[in-house]
Amino acid sequence: MLVPSHGVLAQFRKYRVTQARERTENALKHLLRQATDGHVASFTSLQGVLRMSDRQLMGLTQRLEREGLVRSEGTQFQLTPEGERVALHVLRAHRLWELYLADELGVPIGRVHEQAERAEHGLTKEQLDRLSASMGHPELDPHGDPIPTGDGSIPESPGTPLGAWPPSTPGRIVHLEDEPPLAYAQLSAAGLRLGQVIRVIERTPTRVVLTDGENEFRLAPMVAANVHVAAVTTETAPAAWPDSVIALTRLRSGESAEVVALDPSFRGFARRRLLDLGFTPGARIRSDLATLAGDPRAYRLRGTTIALRREQSDRVLVKRLA
Amino acid sequence: MSAPIATTPSDIVREAAALRRSLDAGFREEVVTSLYGEVERLTRRAVQDSGSGPLELDQRIDRIVTSRLLGLPLMLVILAVIFWLTIVGANVPSQMLASAFFWFEDLAAGWFTQLGVPWWITGFVWHGVYRGLAWVISVMLPPMAIFFPLFTILEDLGYLPRVAFNLDYLFKRAGAHGKQALSMAMGFGCNAAGVIATRVIDSPRERLVAILTNNFVPCNGRFPTLIMLATVFVAASFPPAVASLVAAGSVVAIVLVGVLFTLVVSWVLSRTVLRGEASAFTLELPPYRRPAMARILYTSLIDRTLFVLWRAMVTAAPAGAVIWLLANISPGGVSLATRTATFLDPLGWAMGLDGVILLAYIIAIPANEIVVPTMLMVYMTQGRMLEIESMDALRTLLVDQHGWTLLTAVNLMLFSLLHNPCATTIITIYKETLSVRWTTIGALMPLALGFIVTMLTAAMARAWFGF
Repeated sequence: MLVPSHGVLAQFRKYRVTQARERTENALKHLLRQATDGHVASFTSLQGVLRMSDRQLMGLTQRLEREGLVRSEGTQFQLTPEGERVALHVLRAHRLWELYLADELGVPIGRVHEQAERAEHGLTKEQLDRLSASMGHPELDPHGDPIPTGDGSIPESPGTPLGAWPPSTPGRIVHLEDEPPLAYAQLSAAGLRLGQVIRVIERTPTRVVLTDGENEFRLAPMVAANVHVAAVTTETAPAAWPDSVIALTRLRSGESAEVVALDPSFRGFARRRLLDLGFTPGARIRSDLATLAGDPRAYRLRGTTIALRREQSDRVLVKRLA
Repeated sequence: MSAPIATTPSDIVREAAALRRSLDAGFREEVVTSLYGEVERLTRRAVQDSGSGPLELDQRIDRIVTSRLLGLPLMLVILAVIFWLTIVGANVPSQMLASAFFWFEDLAAGWFTQLGVPWWITGFVWHGVYRGLAWVISVMLPPMAIFFPLFTILEDLGYLPRVAFNLDYLFKRAGAHGKQALSMAMGFGCNAAGVIATRVIDSPRERLVAILTNNFVPCNGRFPTLIMLATVFVAASFPPAVASLVAAGSVVAIVLVGVLFTLVVSWVLSRTVLRGEASAFTLELPPYRRPAMARILYTSLIDRTLFVLWRAMVTAAPAGAVIWLLANISPGGVSLATRTATFLDPLGWAMGLDGVILLAYIIAIPANEIVVPTMLMVYMTQGRMLEIESMDALRTLLVDQHGWTLLTAVNLMLFSLLHNPCATTIITIYKETLSVRWTTIGALMPLALGFIVTMLTAAMARAWFGF
């Protein structure tokens, strides 16, 4: 029980060290966020995020100052350049993890933030570089937030907050802020997602109403501020497919078609897997076998038979061949 | 390009970063598409299509094998045939091996006695360690030498992916991966091999589900128990001509119960500790191939049979020693085995089993194969593991002398399906997950389920049918 390194005491000490590091990193992250948003971080705002007692928080901020990570003026705090470097590192870890969880592991988007919060601590720069390289050095996390680069710069956050977006002008959602989680949960529950094109049709002090042409979304102004939009360009506009383009699932057994595209919302590992199997634009495909439940189905493609579940075949767009 | 040409490495990196932003999001797609385009161009030039003969045949077979009407029945028939061949074919060689091994045991023990070696050394070495080994080899080797090659033929033919295809919708409902059917199929041979086979599943969540539930597929080491029970309690009431068919049918029924548990437990896991949606599923159905017999014999006999047999022997030898010690150390005139069994009796009763069966399962943690021999040994208090000559004698021993009922048989089958994995499988789970937590869950969850299910069936049988 008291063995150094494995006993209960050592475990407890290890827990204390881990906890202290997580708190430090979370504090730095908060200061960075406040600075980026143009707010000032204070003792109270820190307390709101970290949920520590006055005495503990006092100890923490004093330690951060001593280590040269933070400068204080009265009750306000600012990051030093060194503190900013550490904070960017943690932010990078967080966003890379979110993307990895969402795209590679298929974790539902509503849960990636919470899991990344736990996974982001205690990683070295080399580990992050490898993680980043494994995903092809992505630029945006699954919420549309820019991922800091390895050299410590952070690409500009794209888009304008919905509050500042001119009414009736179509805008594409480029970023859904994932903090606080409660507000993000409301956004995703409402059905808003990245890439959607929306217009503001009503803005009052108590609510903001959006439409995507079919549905209306009513949001509290606080929540609406977490949506960022950018101008719609021809390049980013969702291509309107002609009626002859249908989901692969709708192909009847024996019918042949040509692959047109993979749904853009289909990302990460699952998309790469289909591409690697040869689901590339122009490939000829034939619906071949169906199971008892009609799902999965097997398709003939490039001389092989490949079975797909409905979730995937729904997102392969094809054009029937006569 | 109007930009000045970058020369220093850092300039190049900066320029690449800037150019990256102007890349279309679909550039990966273009890379893959152009690769495929190039490959198509090369194949057109270099490969000649000699007509589509075998391809047509493949597709005709696929139509039948995956058809809505015939797909599932066909699968069950194939499974039953494999079990039947294993049961029928293994019977005679098993008995021959056993008599040969036991003949040598008596001979060697005789030599030891003549040389003046103390009785307890002779007993420990020959009636303990050697007999444990002999049992495991004669019980396991023949069925494995039949089952593994048959199974490898199916694998080589390309039938198993079709099974995964047919069953996927069940797994999808359970929040699991269709390829779990493949690792389960592997589990029939050996659960440790089944756990390793889950590597074909890409999604970590679904792979864990497959690892944790693999034990619900009875492995080769557990088939002797199931076959014995099926023969003694089910097939005994049928004419001898069909008895082996009935036995194979009962084993298939037990396997189906195992599959049911796999699906239910996967469903529960997917909604509790391993929450998540069913992930992407892509499965290639490869063309059928004529099995390469030489390779099948090599992989199934050398890689699988000998591997499994070796590790069974490694664990059975010490287990044989433990059994011998338990049966022969008798403080106060009652052997340790009997004492422990008596102690476990109340728990055994509640589960519709008895203390001896539980003791056998504890001793058999290293290798499930020795459950039946251990049980019989304690029942006969003869001090060593033994083989019963005929099924009739076995029936007399269990039913008439030790009060087994249909409830005992059913619950023993259930418990054989639902208990902790053997030591090798537990170690394999740890190696594959590198997590003490998941290993613990993988070991204890089936055991807990076994306790609950057998206690429930025992209570119900007693309340409603007066057992």
